[in-house]
Amino acid sequence: MRSKLLHTPPDVDLFAAERESVDASLSRRINADPENLERGLAQLVLTIVELLRQLMERQALRRIDGGTLTDDQVERLGRTFMELDRRMQELREQFGLTQEDLNLRLGPLGDLL
Amino acid sequence: VIELYAVTDPPAEPLPDLAPLGALVSGDLAVVYGPASETQLSGEALWRHEEVVEALMDGHDVLPFRYGTRCANAAAATRAVAERQEELAAALERIRGAVELSVRVLVIDAAEAQPKTAADYVAAKARDAARARGVIESIDEPLSTRARARRQTPSGVPGEPLRAAYLVDRKNVDAFAAKVAALQARHTDLRLLCTGPWPPYSFVEP
Repeated sequence: MRSKLLHTPPDVDLFAAERESVDASLSRRINADPENLERGLAQLVLTIVELLRQLMERQALRRIDGGTLTDDQVERLGRTFMELDRRMQELREQFGLTQEDLNLRLGPLGDLL
Repeated sequence: VIELYAVTDPPAEPLPDLAPLGALVSGDLAVVYGPASETQLSGEALWRHEEVVEALMDGHDVLPFRYGTRCANAAAATRAVAERQEELAAALERIRGAVELSVRVLVIDAAEAQPKTAADYVAAKARDAARARGVIESIDEPLSTRARARRQTPSGVPGEPLRAAYLVDRKNVDAFAAKVAALQARHTDLRLLCTGPWPPYSFVEP
């Protein structure tokens, strides 16, 4: 196969960081076995949770930007979302999922996240 | 069982000799197919599929099928294409004379320490959002003007604010790549990767 690189920066390895996880998720997506099935279910559930988390976080950030919240409220919101973010990371790691796995391609509607 | 590779204009000849391929004609369209293999699905098998589609792309405008698209036999494939004749013909017109180029943009200081306080976290989120908007404006917009269409597929990672596919006229591929290089020279805090030409996977659907 001929080279597909039309423009590469000198430190192109930066882009290869997730190659291993792509290989893993490819076989996971296609070759079904009981363990993968469980992971598939976890992936679906976490996708929904992540969608809600991002929606709430975006709304909160907009309110913070709007300047209508007290410092105390900003602090509390920030801490809540930081904690949620950390928990999601842990859950992703536990099930061997990447951030990209928690997205759904909705065809003509675009992507879920 | 047959594996489908691409929809193209009839008669779809000459067919690449990378696999035992056949072509069936349904109305104004041709479908290139081959025997479905029983091998375990893998990255390597995916590349073999890709190689066939790309070889076809050399001589034809193609609507690629996603890897793993199968039909019981040629008659079933002909029926399936006939049912969507209009839609597929319109899609083939849309991509005629064009190929897909992919662009990814990384921010190199993205590996920042985990925010420790709530205020840091909020500030980091605001910074990521601003940076993503900046990259859209400074990279995506100038490239979009050189493309027939573009489709963004968010990476979901703040360090990669742009990942997009552009439908570019075959004759403009070099100019597009040169534009990417020029943008890279101007933005030293970013890393731009441009690959292709790919079959127009991202532009099969309207």
